[in-house]
Amino acid sequence: MKKLLLLAVAGLAFAGVAVVALQQWSIGKPVTLDIKLGDPNRGAYLARMAGCITCHTNTEAGDPPLAGGLALPTQFGTFYSPNLTTDRKTGMGDWTVKDFARAVRQGVSPAGEPYYPAFPYPFFTKLTDQDIADLWAAFKTVPAASVPSKTQDIKFPYSFRDGLKLWRAAFVDFTPFEPDPSKSELWNRGKYIVEGVAHCGACHTPRNLAGVRQIELRFTGADGLPEGGKSSPITTKALKENGWEINTLKYALKTGVQPDGDTFGGSMGEVVRDGTSFLGDDDLTAIATYLLEKDQ
Amino acid sequence: MKKMKIAALAAGVAVAASAVAFAHGGATGIYKERMDAMMAMRKDVKSLATMMRGEIAFDAEAVRQAAATFKAHSGQTMTALFPEGTTEKPSEARPEIWQEWETFASLADQLHTYAEGLEKAADNGLAMSGTALGSMMNVKSMMMGSGANMMGTGSAMMGNTQAMMSAEELAGMPADGVFNMITKTCSSCHTKFRIEKK
Repeated sequence: MKKLLLLAVAGLAFAGVAVVALQQWSIGKPVTLDIKLGDPNRGAYLARMAGCITCHTNTEAGDPPLAGGLALPTQFGTFYSPNLTTDRKTGMGDWTVKDFARAVRQGVSPAGEPYYPAFPYPFFTKLTDQDIADLWAAFKTVPAASVPSKTQDIKFPYSFRDGLKLWRAAFVDFTPFEPDPSKSELWNRGKYIVEGVAHCGACHTPRNLAGVRQIELRFTGADGLPEGGKSSPITTKALKENGWEINTLKYALKTGVQPDGDTFGGSMGEVVRDGTSFLGDDDLTAIATYLLEKDQ
Repeated sequence: MKKMKIAALAAGVAVAASAVAFAHGGATGIYKERMDAMMAMRKDVKSLATMMRGEIAFDAEAVRQAAATFKAHSGQTMTALFPEGTTEKPSEARPEIWQEWETFASLADQLHTYAEGLEKAADNGLAMSGTALGSMMNVKSMMMGSGANMMGTGSAMMGNTQAMMSAEELAGMPADGVFNMITKTCSSCHTKFRIEKK
């Protein structure tokens, strides 16, 4: 009995040490940015492509754009998107461009806390310095809205935020985007959009119980998206089998109309409405080209 | 032996035929009625989309006919097919329809108005060919995104909140513009009120 008690105490002490170690673990690398000046027009365009506006605007509640507060119910609990306006207290008004770069590409808050991967920074690690600078220039034009960010409503043990430091160290690929010189510029642009900025895999690749995307099932579609949603497979094979071509894929991303005349619903309806319908012809061509050629 | 083969063949044909008939999973009654209505609209959206992409020549008469289809299945005709709680399989209707009935009904009405508009706008033709549409939209979306407008106009552009235009106002628009408003309405409603399949 005594032995058991001793063991339990030792176990607890060990857990305590682990918790303290995690809390003390300082994450994130120093930020280097080669680009000093951003273009707010390009940035606003990227904010559409990246879904910033879609996820950080509570349209239904009639809240101001990018003031956050949109609920994302998942198996881990409910996430609420934070306020991204220039409000100094409740938004990003006091941030520097380096704070922004670290948040977006490394998933680390200015206070050094890890973000939950409900924020798709594991994709944004691929963003170029220019795109970061452009996005920041655009965010600086957003009118301040004083809407306090809601507390994340996450279940234990996921509520232990420092645990994310392990998750991120184990599962996030922080290497920058590398174009493939054997492929066309269009293909590479498509890859950058699909696997970086537009983070298609966040919904189209199934995740395991730890919320990690299952690479071997890449783009094969997923069940159990927030609010019981499902996503279709978008591997090259599946797209071709379902009769997609460059032209029809572009048109669907622009208008939401599929080749059979049905229109997108669910979260893809939102993605088109608030995101891809704003994209230019060249980028739509790039996305469609990459999706239809990537697995060949 | 030969008879048996024929019987097997006949059975096979019957199974195949019923598989087609029950593509919607054996829907009957009001479920079948509304699925048929949706399918009728889908068929016309499909052929019009082919026209909008520039794959077939523009045909004002076909546009008018499609508009008539949308008109016939929208508004109160559509909402009448959704009695409260009709969510049994194979229905794809979400219970939110009845929790937010006003939104649902106003989308059905919006579709009706836009269909009337498309009927009147059919002779206006297309604003631009498929590819030109893309590049024009490109310029447009860049401007929408611009500076102080990043969010302001952005939110006005979001499907659900677009201001309702009358059929008369729509009558002056290019046919593809009105068609886009129609399909956007379809998608807005599906986004909120339809269960998605994989």
